[in-house]
Amino acid sequence: MPIESRVRSRARRLRLEVDGHKVSVPAGTTVLYAAELAGVSIPSLCSHKELSPFGGCRLCAVDIAGIGGHPLACSTVVTDSMEVTTDTDGLRELRQEILQLILSEHPCSCIFCGEQDECRRSLTTIRKAGVTTGCRSCPNDGDCELQRVVEQVGITEIGYPITYRGLEAEHDDPFFDRDYNLCILCGRCVRVCNEVRGTSVLAFKYRGRKTLIGPAFGTSHIEAGCEFCGACVSVCPTGALAEKVSKWDGKADGVETSTCPFCGIGCRLEVAHKDGRLSSVSGALDSEINDGQLCVRGRFGLPEATHHYLRARQPMLRRGAYFRVANWDEALGEVAERLKQVAPDEFLMLVSSDLSNEGLFAAQRLVRSGLGANGVDSTAGASLPGGPGVWSRLFSLPVSIKALSEAETVIVAGLDSRFSFSVVGVQVRRAMREGARLVAVDARESNLARMADEWVRPEPGDEARALVEAVRKWPGGGTLAVVVGPRVFDCPGAGELVSRLETLAQDEGVTVVPLVHGANIRGALELGALGGVLPGPRPDEGRGLTLADMRAGKHPKVLYLVGEAPFTTRPDCDFVVAQDLYLPPFAVDAFLPAASFAEAEGTLTNLEGRVQELRAVERLPVGAVHGFALPDWKIFSDLAGRLGRSDLEYADAAAVRKTIRAEVSGFAAEGDRAPRRMAPAELPVEPAGDTVQGTGRFVLVPERASFRHRGIDLAGVVEGLGELHLEEGLRMNVADMTRLGVEPGGTVTVSLGSRRVAVAARPDPDCPRRAAYVSLIEAWGGVGGEAADPALELLSRLAARPVRVRISAGDRSPARKRGGAHVPGR
Amino acid sequence: MAAVTRPQPELDDLPASSPPIDPWAQIVQGFDGNRSDLVPVLQRAQSLLGYLPPDAVRRVARWLRLSESEVFGVATFYAQFRFTPPGRHHVRICLGTACHVKGGVQMLETIQRRLGVGAGETTADGEYDVERVACLGCCALAPVLTLDEAIHGQMSVLKLQGILDAEASA
Ligand code: SF4
Ligand code: SF4
Ligand code: SF4
Ligand code: FES
Ligand code: FES
Repeated sequence: MPIESRVRSRARRLRLEVDGHKVSVPAGTTVLYAAELAGVSIPSLCSHKELSPFGGCRLCAVDIAGIGGHPLACSTVVTDSMEVTTDTDGLRELRQEILQLILSEHPCSCIFCGEQDECRRSLTTIRKAGVTTGCRSCPNDGDCELQRVVEQVGITEIGYPITYRGLEAEHDDPFFDRDYNLCILCGRCVRVCNEVRGTSVLAFKYRGRKTLIGPAFGTSHIEAGCEFCGACVSVCPTGALAEKVSKWDGKADGVETSTCPFCGIGCRLEVAHKDGRLSSVSGALDSEINDGQLCVRGRFGLPEATHHYLRARQPMLRRGAYFRVANWDEALGEVAERLKQVAPDEFLMLVSSDLSNEGLFAAQRLVRSGLGANGVDSTAGASLPGGPGVWSRLFSLPVSIKALSEAETVIVAGLDSRFSFSVVGVQVRRAMREGARLVAVDARESNLARMADEWVRPEPGDEARALVEAVRKWPGGGTLAVVVGPRVFDCPGAGELVSRLETLAQDEGVTVVPLVHGANIRGALELGALGGVLPGPRPDEGRGLTLADMRAGKHPKVLYLVGEAPFTTRPDCDFVVAQDLYLPPFAVDAFLPAASFAEAEGTLTNLEGRVQELRAVERLPVGAVHGFALPDWKIFSDLAGRLGRSDLEYADAAAVRKTIRAEVSGFAAEGDRAPRRMAPAELPVEPAGDTVQGTGRFVLVPERASFRHRGIDLAGVVEGLGELHLEEGLRMNVADMTRLGVEPGGTVTVSLGSRRVAVAARPDPDCPRRAAYVSLIEAWGGVGGEAADPALELLSRLAARPVRVRISAGDRSPARKRGGAHVPGR
Repeated sequence: MAAVTRPQPELDDLPASSPPIDPWAQIVQGFDGNRSDLVPVLQRAQSLLGYLPPDAVRRVARWLRLSESEVFGVATFYAQFRFTPPGRHHVRICLGTACHVKGGVQMLETIQRRLGVGAGETTADGEYDVERVACLGCCALAPVLTLDEAIHGQMSVLKLQGILDAEASA
């Protein structure tokens, strides 16, 4: 439990004296923290204010009147009128001795090097150490707690023989390196992984001199179930754990608080920047949402997603056979010309729900008001299981992540929080630590099912009905949080589930957390950036082209893609404009480079309805090298200007928000990030039906792909995510694969009615028997001309909901019979 | 702790690597899934399987709602657990006080050189496993080692070489 809440939860105050300073603290405070409040700093290495006391390093030894020996400040609780002395000759000597012992097992020439000052200034070596000692593996971020403690305790040499453990540094897992030669066994990483994350990937292994940190049997972190949340890296006081991407960036120039652009939880971030570029990211201590924690995307995905070398940063135009760089004037002029000419019912704009509120609103306003057209749609429509109507009802419920962490009963359905919505998983575990009872409803043996007090395991694809049952069993009274993963709203009986949740939420003590992928999907719904939805949201009676029309073969003359390209080949349109971070995987006629989340100010709306700020941290000079990207709203504003519609122009992001407030009642006031409830509206719905359709022994369960940002597959730009292979292939139970005689990675044929699709199968230890899971590919722009796996794309079209299928070994698809390449667009 | 209700994973839900764990029912018999039973459950598993293969650690972990790392961390803390299959012959080398003083370490080093494996390991051909123990209770014979049931006392490097040679040619 973090100190703050421990302090808050008790009212009685105690008085004590630390080195003569009088201070009063709440009962339950440790001597270490009380000293900090009194302005006295006691050297410590293993204690951390978010973690339970460990008493491992023994540096915090103090003298307390009436207590013999040298009690440890970090694990001694204050009693009334305590008298603490932290600085005597004896204590100083004791600490110096202990620290020397710790350092005798740590490559520490950097600490005693004579060139220290010189080196610190010029940073010619890393943390001022010689290569031979192995200290080169330390990041040079000037952020070594061990060095600080050495200065504080004041030692200049070591009187003990130095041992070097000679362990091989571990570089094989993605995102962070581990060099346990530098480890001082403070146990912070073990405790954060266990207490805060509840993942328990790390443990102390072996004992005595051989003690080592790591997962069981020396398995990799990937195999051990690591979430790659980076919490361990953040608390490590040494260079033993170091982030790969930013390791050599050096000390950051500054840090800004921003919002994670990768999912609807909207975690608050501390974004460090160096030389005008985003360097690394850690969780902000925002007690309302993520409390310092993040998931793998937020923690490690941002630098690469921003700086990928394939970022397209210049406007481009097709001229005959050439696709060449243009300036903004030319590019906007040409696009505006086309927009002027197109008939309103022959135009379609597809907008990604990952855009900022400003971008989304300006987009739909340009189409509706500027062009008098109704053709604005988004794959977000398809990402909202059950349709926008269902979600305007769900978002009208009290959604609160904080209430979840304080609930007495938590029911979680259809969620594995290892890589998606991890922060929700952290809060579920926090609730459990405080005594909550967890009921998991999942056909999969998800990470939450594994630790649940009660695990209800329905048939695959039948979580909605099982959840309705589980909720019915709740006796009422007390507090309840119901967390519903996106997959559940596709299951039969989802309609009843939504009504049930609405009834339930009338109870004061109930919070519902419905999860859906898409960073600003709630914003897209509220601001009318979906087909059939006007800002508000209100139903749109006018009929424009939609993405569904295109799928059915009805193509617009002019197609404007903003942040997403849900096609693998160029759709049959006269003129295609793409406004994005990357070029789409097919030919377009005009490309407008958009600013990434790190390059423009704006806001995102999270699943609770909080409108949260995005900060521009990248400050690179505009020009041929760093490009000419503009914020999405700015591009729409400039186009409006060229269409002669100065009323649709905006001076800055704040001006867009002002217009939003004028048109959308209930939108947050400037700077207000309180959660809001949406007014439910009569919007389109797609009922999920009552039974799983189809025939066959297996149930194919589609899951909406979650590693997407502005239409691109993050696994394609963030190297580490690629190494995790999260959304590839058909995932099946090992025993089923063995029974079919299919090797891991081998091909199976899925038969849905008369359609057959051949796809690679992967073993999945959490998958139940007679089921197969697949990630839907809805929006996939691809990077560097790469297209999505066409077999998966076909499956996504055929199975939008859980469906019964037959699965057999080998490739028996028609594509194979024709003997041709069944890979379009490659 | 409140009653824990969970569907048991089907036997073949777990990936099959190393030997399949058939005696699962026997391993958990009489235990009701409390975390405090961890060490007794591991002991039962080891007595039935001869060692703790990764599968067993994984199953015990999931059954007790712990992570594999936690189970492994606890198991490696106690010298009694082994993680490699036992060999056909069992060498135990004493490094208790008396044997240590009289050169037990040299015995262990000799074994290591000859068999290529150290304490807690099994030779690749499955012939020998090596274990270090704290005291065999016959300190007067130090340094002591046992080969299967036979106790060899007052060992020297030469005598040990002889024993191993005899075994190899047997
Ligand atoms: S990254 Fe997170 S889950 Fe992985 S070991 Fe570190 S704290 Fe544990
Ligand atoms: S890796 Fe870092 S945090 Fe973990 S025990 Fe070692 S020094 Fe402490
Ligand atoms: S949980 Fe969502 S908002 Fe939080 S860090 Fe991960 S992707 Fe970002
Ligand atoms: S800080 Fe108290 S023992 Fe480490
Ligand atoms: S010390 Fe080896 S037998 Fe007692």
